[in-house]
Amino acid sequence: MNDILTVSGLNKSYVDFSLKDVTFSLPEGCITGFIGVNGAGKTTTLRTLLGLTNKLSGKIQFFGLDMDKNEREIKDRIGIVLDGGGFYEELSLSEMKGIISSAYTSWSEQDFKRYMDMFSLDPKQKINSLSKGMRMKYALALALSHNAELLIMDEPTSGLDPLVRGQLLKILTEYMENGGKGVFFSTHITSDLDKIADMLIMIDNGRIVFREEKDTLLDTYRIVKGDSGALTPDTRKLFLSISETDFGFTGITKQISEVRSYIPNIMVERPTIEDIMLGNIGGEK
Amino acid sequence: MLFALLKKDFLIVKKYVLIMLVVIALIPPVMRWRTPEFTGVFGFILSVIFGVFMLLQYVSLKEYQFPKAATLLCATPFSRKAIVSSKYIFCMAIYAICCIVFELETLFMPGLGTSDTKLFAFMFLIVSVFIGIYLPIQYKFGYEKTKFAFGVIIMASPFILPLFMRAGSLNLNFLSMFSPYLVYGGIVLIGFAILAISASLSIKIYDKADLA
Repeated sequence: MNDILTVSGLNKSYVDFSLKDVTFSLPEGCITGFIGVNGAGKTTTLRTLLGLTNKLSGKIQFFGLDMDKNEREIKDRIGIVLDGGGFYEELSLSEMKGIISSAYTSWSEQDFKRYMDMFSLDPKQKINSLSKGMRMKYALALALSHNAELLIMDEPTSGLDPLVRGQLLKILTEYMENGGKGVFFSTHITSDLDKIADMLIMIDNGRIVFREEKDTLLDTYRIVKGDSGALTPDTRKLFLSISETDFGFTGITKQISEVRSYIPNIMVERPTIEDIMLGNIGGEK
Repeated sequence: MLFALLKKDFLIVKKYVLIMLVVIALIPPVMRWRTPEFTGVFGFILSVIFGVFMLLQYVSLKEYQFPKAATLLCATPFSRKAIVSSKYIFCMAIYAICCIVFELETLFMPGLGTSDTKLFAFMFLIVSVFIGIYLPIQYKFGYEKTKFAFGVIIMASPFILPLFMRAGSLNLNFLSMFSPYLVYGGIVLIGFAILAISASLSIKIYDKADLA
C-alpha cells in the first residue's frame, strides 16, 4: 500500500510552543484520525503540512511529490476543510464558490450542485446566515467538488450536534467508497473515530505519541480496575496512567499479561480511543 | 487565477464600490464649485486618492475581519504571489476607472478642464509611489497598525495637495527637449517599476507570514 502523505523530521517553533521532529505517514485508502487534546499541535501540524505556516525543518511529501517543489499541483489534488470554514462571511455561497472553484483545474460544477442539493443549501444564501452544521457541509461541498484525492479537515466535528456529525461521517465513508484515496482529520472528539477511522495518529505537546491501526491499538491497550492495596511501585510501572479513589484504582496498560500475573483480582475492560488518548497523556501513578 | 482574485477583491467590498464610484464622479464637479482655481487636476487627484485608497482600505478591512478566508485561499492552489499581485492590480484597476470617469466628465463638462496623458501619467506615478510604499508596510505590520497611516494620508491630502500643485509648477521645461511619448512613457515605466519592486517585497513578506 502506497503512502499518500509522508512527513519526516518536521519542526516548527513558536515562542510558547513547538512541533518537535514530527514524523508519520498516511497509507492510501485509509481514514486517519489525528488526535490530541487542545493545544497538542494538531492544527499547527495541519497548517504546516499545507504551507500555511512556515516550517523550521523537515520534509513533506504528498502522493510522492515534494511539497516545497510541487505545492500547486499537490493542493490541486487535496480538499480542505478548515475549522470554522474560513470564508468571507458577507458573500453568498455562490459567490464564495466562484472564488474557490477558479483555483482548481478539475472543478466539477455538477458535483458541487449535487452536494448543495444533498445538503439542502441555497446558493443565494449568505454565509453568515448559516448554522455551524450547514457551514461545515458547505465547506465539505467545496472540498469535494474538484475530484480531490485526499481530504484534510481540521476539527470538522467540533461544535456539531450528533446528527450532523453522523451525516459527516457517512459522507466521508461514501467519499472513500467513491474513489477517495484518503481522509486525514484532526479531532478531539474521539467517539467519531471509533466509528470510521482505520488509522490513528496521536500528538501531544508537539510530539507524535503513536501511529497505529485503530483495531491494533484497541487490542493492545486494556483498562484495569482493582484494589489500590495491590499496587506496588513495581506494578505501577506496568501502567501508562493510574487514577485512584477510595474505592480502588483504574489504570490503563499495554502489558495486560504481566498485570494479571502480579495482580490476580482485577477487572479488565476494553478501552475506548479516548481512554487510550488520555492514558498516553499521563496521569498520576 | 489573477482575474478570480481581482474579482474577489471587488466582491468583498461590493457594498462600497458603487458609493465610491459616485464619490469619484462627484469630486471634480464639486471641486469646480468650491475651489474653481483648482478645477480639473485637483479634483482628479482627490478622486483618485479617495477612490484607490478608500477601496483598498475597505478590502484590507474585510481581510482583517475574516482572516481565515485568506488562509483558505492559500490552502487552495492559489499562490501567495497571486494573492499579493491581485491587490496591486486591484489598485491599478481602480485608478483606471478614475481616469475613465474623469475623461468622460471632461467630455460632458467642459468647465472641468481637459484630461490629458500628462495628468494621467504623473498621477499614475504618484499612486504607484503611495501604493508601492503602503502595501509592503501593510503586509508587514497588518491592517490594524497601518490604518492610522492611511487616515493621515486621507485627512492630509486636501492640505498637502496645494503644496504639490505649487511643486508642480517647478521648472520642468528641460523635459520638452524630449518627445512627450518618451517622457510620459518613461514616467509610466518608472511607476510600473516601483510597483514591481514593491510587489516583490510584499510577496516576500507575505510568503514568510504564518497565516491565522
